[in-house]
Amino acid sequence: MSRGGRHVYAALSVLAAGALVLTGCSKGGSDASDNNKQDKENAARQQKSIKFGDAADSTGPAAAVAGAKSGGTMEVLQRDSFAHLDPGQIYVSDEMALSQLIHRGLTGYKATTTDGKSHEVVGDLATDSGTTTDGGKTWKYTLKDGIKFQDGTPITSTDIRQTVERLFAPFINQGPSYLQQWLADSAGADYRKLLPDGPYKGKHLPSSVLETPDSKTIIFHFKTPHSDLPYALAMAGYSIVSAKGDTQAKYDKTPVVTGPYKIQSFKSGKSMVLVKNTNWDPKTDPIRHQYVDQFNFTFNQQFETSTKALLADSGADQAGVSFSNQVDAGNLSSVLKDPKMKSRTISGYQPYVGQMNINMSHASMKDKTVREAIAYALPITPFVRAFGGTDAMEVAGGTLSPTVSGYNAAFDPWGKKTKPAGDPEKAKALLKKAGKLNMKLTFGYTNTPEGQQYSTAMAAGLKKAGFNVQRQEIPAETYYDQISKLDNNYDIFHTAWGADWPSASTVIPPLYDGRGIADGAQNYPQVNDPKVNADIDAANKITDPVKAAAAWEKIDEYLVKDVVAFVPTAYYKQTQIAGSKVGGLVYDDVIGGVDPRRLFVK
Amino acid sequence: MLRFLVRRTLGAVVILFLLSIVTFLLFFGMPRDPGLLMCGKTCNPTSLANIHHVLGLDKPISTQYGIFLKNLVMGSNGFAQGPCPAPCFGYSYHTNDQVWATLIDRLPTTISLTLGGAFFFLLIGLGTGLLAAWKRGTIIDKTATAGAMVLSSMQIYFLGPLALALLVYQTHIFDKPAYNNFTANPVSWFTGLIIPWVVLSTIFAAQYTRMARSAMIEQLQEEHVRTAKAKGMSRRYVFFRYAWRGSLIPIVTIFGIDLGALLGGAIITEYTFSLPGLGNLAVQAVFFSDLPLLLGVMIFSATMILLFNIIVDACYAFIDPRVRLA
Repeated sequence: MSRGGRHVYAALSVLAAGALVLTGCSKGGSDASDNNKQDKENAARQQKSIKFGDAADSTGPAAAVAGAKSGGTMEVLQRDSFAHLDPGQIYVSDEMALSQLIHRGLTGYKATTTDGKSHEVVGDLATDSGTTTDGGKTWKYTLKDGIKFQDGTPITSTDIRQTVERLFAPFINQGPSYLQQWLADSAGADYRKLLPDGPYKGKHLPSSVLETPDSKTIIFHFKTPHSDLPYALAMAGYSIVSAKGDTQAKYDKTPVVTGPYKIQSFKSGKSMVLVKNTNWDPKTDPIRHQYVDQFNFTFNQQFETSTKALLADSGADQAGVSFSNQVDAGNLSSVLKDPKMKSRTISGYQPYVGQMNINMSHASMKDKTVREAIAYALPITPFVRAFGGTDAMEVAGGTLSPTVSGYNAAFDPWGKKTKPAGDPEKAKALLKKAGKLNMKLTFGYTNTPEGQQYSTAMAAGLKKAGFNVQRQEIPAETYYDQISKLDNNYDIFHTAWGADWPSASTVIPPLYDGRGIADGAQNYPQVNDPKVNADIDAANKITDPVKAAAAWEKIDEYLVKDVVAFVPTAYYKQTQIAGSKVGGLVYDDVIGGVDPRRLFVK
Repeated sequence: MLRFLVRRTLGAVVILFLLSIVTFLLFFGMPRDPGLLMCGKTCNPTSLANIHHVLGLDKPISTQYGIFLKNLVMGSNGFAQGPCPAPCFGYSYHTNDQVWATLIDRLPTTISLTLGGAFFFLLIGLGTGLLAAWKRGTIIDKTATAGAMVLSSMQIYFLGPLALALLVYQTHIFDKPAYNNFTANPVSWFTGLIIPWVVLSTIFAAQYTRMARSAMIEQLQEEHVRTAKAKGMSRRYVFFRYAWRGSLIPIVTIFGIDLGALLGGAIITEYTFSLPGLGNLAVQAVFFSDLPLLLGVMIFSATMILLFNIIVDACYAFIDPRVRLA
């Protein structure tokens, strides 16, 4: 996913300038020893690849959380209200976190350790994570017994068909489109031609695409293998919708849910109350718990506000948490330095990785030696510092996050982990060799407080290497609109991207497949390398997740080291805090934040 | 008076009409496509075109404006999200909520904040101003004048977090600011808003102190006041019966403007205290390039300001019989 709601968050951060200014005073820079320690942990983590679970793994109930007890009300302080409750429209992290409690899909991620760092994909509503006998072209799922919607209606294959078919309807335009594209065997938005009106005008997907031979069986047919289907179906965007309760566009306000909680009330932009769904059967669910009686959500809570409220740890906020807010940059260092406060925090990676893109469409950037000079010269320290230091950002070697299969902790071709301030001497020598000393380099940056801060120091680092850097400010609200235009003026500019599931198949193809270059698309550096394109096609066909991960890793390394169309900057991290009466507090790597399914009130 | 009200109301309608045109044009003049915000990660020209079609953004601006006006006056059943009775501002691009319903839903928060804040800043501001004028030249006057000067230079985004830190998070004297429905629980309504009211009144009270003081001193030097004193009327009677009434005109004028602006949305106050009022809604509309919501908030806020201007003008006649509104 791209930085969800990035425009908005960037803009909001301007209003929170007071807090962000403090960022510059907080613990800054990156420390080589910190990175080394982190690398080792990440490398160890990657040795445990995500497995596709069988029927035994998919059987409920979920393993009990140590010390958990039922009851109580939990306060949830959120900055942004939920814009969508219809699973088909869910794609941003806040709504994905909520959907862990209210929606269920055919598959889901089950944590296999209590620290939230190891997972397997299991059957959620389905009996297992899916079976394929032809290398990923045909996938069969069988629904469990005893699964029901909140109104008590049993979930059948008719509901699954409805869920899939309605994704083709015009009003569904904000959720993921992997499954639709795979079923239609078509890139872009052409998949809609397969069923232009969805299931609402009497037409249905043919049995050559989707089969539901009985009330419990669902068979997906693809023209090309898609070994990632169990991952894709675990996305909140593919959670199940009730065929009987499908009110089309209105479903976004009144979904018929399947998870352990149902919506008692929702006042958009103000509050939401979740209560227990009595038709949820824990025996059918290997992933979720239902410890808390009620979740009270309050919106409009800025990061600084929620941090201070939870730090104060008084009244109802003692049982308070936030699914999406992180400890604000101004308070981060002091919170982590105080052992008492730190004991109420959890930290981990967000799915995002930053890249400084080099615009390959510009003639001056076609010289690889120049691009290598940029890669060596670019200081990452200012970027890390601008966002709150090493507690919030970690210097990146490649473009695959530590949470993605294929991550290689040792990969660091430009020496950023050892020299995060850049290597201007080496860069200058390269620039001299290319005969381009003092060449003009237009640096487009976002006018957020962080953007202002890091771009100034980065430009200084590049100048030291012999570039004539011209900084050009871009309003945060239109930043991504501007830099995703093919005909833009910027030689270098920063973006961030996150995987939709822990496979690089959701990172490398959308970002670097040259056939996807278009206005508004995400191949920001406009890379069109025949070898990359061919390797992407080859990697997409590999059905073994371990072998696929190795193939993606090779493409990543080739892109970073040989194509040099971007320079990885940092892996985004976050720290969240909860009240002292919150139990089961764990940072889940797949969710990219607190795991709401394990929470209980002490 | 009736003729005056009709004339001013018609003028206000024209202003609102022009404002809606300007907002519409400015929105489309921005280098930003609201469709892109909804287009998701795998955005491409076809998806974008689909979103433009769903939102009606593929029609000419003049046609879109015509549809907006028609829906506003007559309502519409043409939205996929459901019927939209007049006054129909349409449905939010971002949340799919009906804009008018959202405005009405947020209004009690803003009204509570405004009226409570106004009560405190009038009470404190006018009280201190009158006291300073009554005790002119004394230490009380000087303290009040200096205090007003200091407080008027404060900002909500400074005082707000300070008050929260001291009174809520550290000492736990007050509840965390929140809007609770007055009819459901008047006590929690009061305790939830007391800090925003006090902070808002601290900023606003200062200007009313200064204004009340200077207006009273000016009035006390008027000939008719001096005449009343010379006739032997008591100081208290002259102060409140003669000078006070005369000093009300500038105060009412500013109060009307302030009240209208606050009812249109106290953006910084609501943002600082995380209150879900019209001010927060305005921020949301801008950040999400949400044209229906933006138009709704703009027109609603402008209506409040114009309405209170008319009310202020009408009040002149009651405050000062010399003023005629023909």
